[in-house]
Amino acid sequence: MNDALVVKDVHKRYGDHEAVKGISFTVHEGEIFGLIGPNGAGKTTTLRMISTLLKISSGTIEVCGYDVSSQSDDVREVICYLPEDAGAYKDMTGRRYLNFMAGFFASGEKKQELVRKAISIADLGPRIDSKVDTYSKGMMRRLLIARAIMPSPKFAILDEVTSGLDVVNAHEIRDIIRDIADSGVTILLSSHNMHEVEVLCDRVAMIDGGEIILTGTPDEMKARYGARDLEEVFIRAVKEREGSQ
Amino acid sequence: MSDLTNVMKKELREYLSLSSVISVVLVVVIFAFMGTMMSGEADKITSPSDLLVINCDDNSFAVDEIRDVYDVIFDGTSGEYVHVVDGNGSVVDAEYVQRLMSENGYTDAIVICPDFRNNICSTPVIKGQMMLYFQFEATGLFGGASSSIAQSIVSAVNERISQTLVSSVTDLGPNASSPIDMGSTYTYVNGEVVENVTPIEISSALMSQNFIMPLIIMVILTMIGSIVISSMGNEKENKTLETLLTMPVKRTTIVTGKLISAAIAGLVFGAAYMVGMMFYMEGMTSTMMTSVDLAEIGLTLSVSDWAIVMVMMFLAILSALGMCMILGAFTKNYKAAQTMILPLAIMAMIPMFIIMFMGWESLPSIGKILLSLIPFTHPMMVVNNLMFGEMTMVAIGIGYLLAFSALMVFITVKVYRSDILITGIGQTRFVVAMKKFFAKKSE
Repeated sequence: MNDALVVKDVHKRYGDHEAVKGISFTVHEGEIFGLIGPNGAGKTTTLRMISTLLKISSGTIEVCGYDVSSQSDDVREVICYLPEDAGAYKDMTGRRYLNFMAGFFASGEKKQELVRKAISIADLGPRIDSKVDTYSKGMMRRLLIARAIMPSPKFAILDEVTSGLDVVNAHEIRDIIRDIADSGVTILLSSHNMHEVEVLCDRVAMIDGGEIILTGTPDEMKARYGARDLEEVFIRAVKEREGSQ
Repeated sequence: MSDLTNVMKKELREYLSLSSVISVVLVVVIFAFMGTMMSGEADKITSPSDLLVINCDDNSFAVDEIRDVYDVIFDGTSGEYVHVVDGNGSVVDAEYVQRLMSENGYTDAIVICPDFRNNICSTPVIKGQMMLYFQFEATGLFGGASSSIAQSIVSAVNERISQTLVSSVTDLGPNASSPIDMGSTYTYVNGEVVENVTPIEISSALMSQNFIMPLIIMVILTMIGSIVISSMGNEKENKTLETLLTMPVKRTTIVTGKLISAAIAGLVFGAAYMVGMMFYMEGMTSTMMTSVDLAEIGLTLSVSDWAIVMVMMFLAILSALGMCMILGAFTKNYKAAQTMILPLAIMAMIPMFIIMFMGWESLPSIGKILLSLIPFTHPMMVVNNLMFGEMTMVAIGIGYLLAFSALMVFITVKVYRSDILITGIGQTRFVVAMKKFFAKKSE
């Protein structure tokens, strides 16, 4: 199996403060990979470095064979990134927003095809023609996921994608993510909701204090610590690390 | 603590944030600066200034009268400020007067015509002639004020002589009540002599240019700047910027797209404001009964001049937008963006007030250098510079604006390629080091 993402000894420093401390992990093509950890663990910084938004202090990241530092334009051709709590342009309707975004990938009939596909994924009915500032959080998230998946990226980066959503909306979004993965897109998602990651991800990396403390499938992790769920695994892994330091 | 105090404390903390207090303090400083500037200019008008008197009469009667009046108005300073040149009893021509004025830096001259004393002392009185010459200087609100001083002196002399005549002799005829014929008034504008127009009349006619350009440019820059910074704040708050930056599009394309569209909007707003203000100022100046046709005295702009004005406005807008996009990079959200417009507003307001009220010429050299460093000074002065043929200043302005706007665009692209756009200034090495330094100090 080929690797869609290879992260090698990556550091991110702001002066003396080190937000990410030499993390390494790989994501295989076609899998859903979860990056989990508490708030401030370094998840978003890692995702931003992968999506070319932040510069790497040291180490290397390759996305679908492209180096994020030297081939950032190529990386942006194959990825889609959905930031945590992202919004859309408030003065646009859902359809116009999708039209605007589709313009970066195609023109003419191809562009309209992308828009039709996104409208179908968003499944907002007639509200697709309402201004986005009238959307609920769930509707907004569906619109943004549709925008992200619209150009059929090879690699999707989703930051806290269900954060702040109610149970029904979160469930629907997880279904959409599974459908995306089934269509062949590799997904890297971050979450502090361990349950969500457990039911959604093929493999998981646990991050704490800017370091990866554990990597594997949810079943492997639970078996290793004799834990009932990933939350318990995380707590035991953190304690184990603190004990060894 | 009562509920009311609790709520008030929270609200006041929000309203009186550091940035809002700084902006209020800066506004106070600007108004204080303006007040000082205006009183300085007003003092200049009421303080004595050099007056050239060319005496073509064969005696010193009129000169003595002028000196006496000058001493009354300016506390006995005629010895220092009234410079008398002998006209050798014959009529002097305008070129001679202009040469004398420009060589010695005088802006006002009174020519006493031959037979002045004989005429007014004859019975009945024949009017004695005095002619006024002015050097027009393009200044601010108080430009041309000197002409009213020179005219006042001649009027006062007229009154004094009239009183003397009436009290000493009878049956003097109708001219005794106004024995001086001021003849023609000559003003030098751009090296050309304009007859029967005083500097104050030209200044009134130029008021629309002096006021419209600085005002329009200040309004456009702050308005467009505010729109761009607010848009950046919105983009950051909604994280649409993060999304945009991960699209398969070059950062330079994003920056260029944002800059050009905002610059076009700025030009459209600018044109609309200019038309509106022209109508407004036309109405204002017509009520002031300005009789001077600027086109007749060569103070008008050609099509190519207007093209230069538009180019400079575009470059100024581009520079301002570049600044705003850099400032906008440091905003966290829409609210924070509102205060970031302040540096730009100050940079636009300072030259506006100085050009409006003082004018370029009245500034000391250091003032001129400092004002030139503010890029928005140049488009505010361009109309006057073009009218008065100051092409070196126009060329310097275009060159400086080109360099400044290029620098702003370059820095903007750099910022768009850096982490600052995402993390804000709070995570830069400098700020992190400063935070650490102050944390240690407080320990």
